[in-house]
Amino acid sequence: MDFDYTSSELMAVAGARELQDNEVVAVGLGLPVVASFLAKQTHAPNMTILFELGVIDPQPVDCGVGLADPRVWYRANVLSSFVDILGEVLHRGRVDVGFLGGLEVDQYGNLNTSLVGDPKGKFRHMIGSGGANDIASCAKRTIIIMRHEERKLKETISFITSPGFISGGDSRAKAGLTGGPSRVITDKAIFGFHPETKQMRLLSIHPGITREEVLSTMGFVPDVPEQVPFTKPPTREQVRLIREVIDPQRMYMG
Amino acid sequence: MTKISTLSDAVASIPSGAHLALSGFAITRCTMAFAREVIRQGISHLTISQCVGAMDADILVGAGAVDRMIYGGGSLDRFGRLNCVNRGIEDGTLAAEEYSSLSVTFRYLAGALGIPFMPIRSLRGSDLMSQLKERSGSNIANITDPFTGEQWPVLKPLLPDVAVVQVQAADKDGNSWITGPRWDNIEQVRASQRTIVITERLVTDETIRQNPERTVIPGLFVSHVVELPFSAHPTSVYRTYDYDGGQIQAYVEATRTPETFRAYLDQYVFGVKDHWEYLERIGGLAHLSSLQADPVLGY
Repeated sequence: MDFDYTSSELMAVAGARELQDNEVVAVGLGLPVVASFLAKQTHAPNMTILFELGVIDPQPVDCGVGLADPRVWYRANVLSSFVDILGEVLHRGRVDVGFLGGLEVDQYGNLNTSLVGDPKGKFRHMIGSGGANDIASCAKRTIIIMRHEERKLKETISFITSPGFISGGDSRAKAGLTGGPSRVITDKAIFGFHPETKQMRLLSIHPGITREEVLSTMGFVPDVPEQVPFTKPPTREQVRLIREVIDPQRMYMG
Repeated sequence: MTKISTLSDAVASIPSGAHLALSGFAITRCTMAFAREVIRQGISHLTISQCVGAMDADILVGAGAVDRMIYGGGSLDRFGRLNCVNRGIEDGTLAAEEYSSLSVTFRYLAGALGIPFMPIRSLRGSDLMSQLKERSGSNIANITDPFTGEQWPVLKPLLPDVAVVQVQAADKDGNSWITGPRWDNIEQVRASQRTIVITERLVTDETIRQNPERTVIPGLFVSHVVELPFSAHPTSVYRTYDYDGGQIQAYVEATRTPETFRAYLDQYVFGVKDHWEYLERIGGLAHLSSLQADPVLGY
């Protein structure tokens, strides 16, 4: 390795690698945007990117502050509506991948973006769902991307905004939902889910991170196989695209 | 009777206690001049609905004009959270009925179509569902699909009294064009009893008739047409003007405490007699011209 990359860049690249060509991807803002545009500009040129408010396949030249920023709508193929995107594409069952960030995730991949406890024991109201609950409920699979901290990776969360595998096992199917989370990508590791129990399972550890560092900074014990490989590092070209083309102002990558 | 109206007259048509559907989404096409006038006129006990909570709802909540909010969560994007809405929820002064974006859209759509309920796949297994059942048992229920026997959550139609929608262009009858994404606005208009259109530009009937496929709000839904440039400021109007980052930042700072927010209202709402004075207060034409959208980029 003769070049540096940041943990955010590794997360974005790991996210991009989960996306396949020709897939339809519903994207929340932040790292999911970088990961999706990176996939589109490398191995998945025929992927379709959706933003919930009515944007299909934009080609921004400037970074935006959020989905409401016209910068991220630039050169879209379609500018339409919630009914069109969340209804007639997502609810209809045509979204392959939902790509979500979150404030807290539990061992079954349930996401909380609604209520977070403060040190005084009071609940603070955060941002709620937006389209996240719809995406987590209706996409064929979801990828969750978030920072690896004990206060974010919790055994139980205070509020399920967007369902993962609910209480594990077949509880998601019993609730009438198919799909579910396929990956949780953090700045230390990548997780999948145990096929039966639906508990989070360690799949790979990022280069330079120890197993101990992964496990001691989360609020529950994931399923850990005997052999855990290292996450494949980004290529020089992937890092160049992120820095020079996708996020030159470093708005998403911090 | 003419639908062309001043902002003040259009706002005066709204009784306290009304349910308003507002067209804003986070920091774009928010009904800001409208909200400031509602606050000046002292209209209160409102119910506000929108699929994604936005700055127009937040300022109304902060000013104490809103009792109830029906929404799908929201923020001011990177600028910050909806501090007034969140504070209202946390201290119990705002009754919030919180959904996902699609579930509010489906409630409007059911209202727009005149159907009795709308099945939805979302919300299952979430605490949004359990909270909704606790707080508003009558707006969400379960039904057995008569064709397959599957269980489905169903949503009650949402029927606002008035939709208030920011548009780029409208004619005197309220036939309106929205340029760019329309999020929930189409369904809001059709679900509501009537609509107040606030347009950046009043165009001739002939302009509409030359491009009728662009008309997304037919005049038949519209009671008032208000022409008011920069009426979404400090939020953006696609292909017309960009958001005003400095002013949104100042708003977010001001909403951190009730006291600082009161000072904000004194300066930008109560301290000006109308929208024109507001535009002078935030820097006048010299400042506004810097926000004008580039015709290629749209912002």
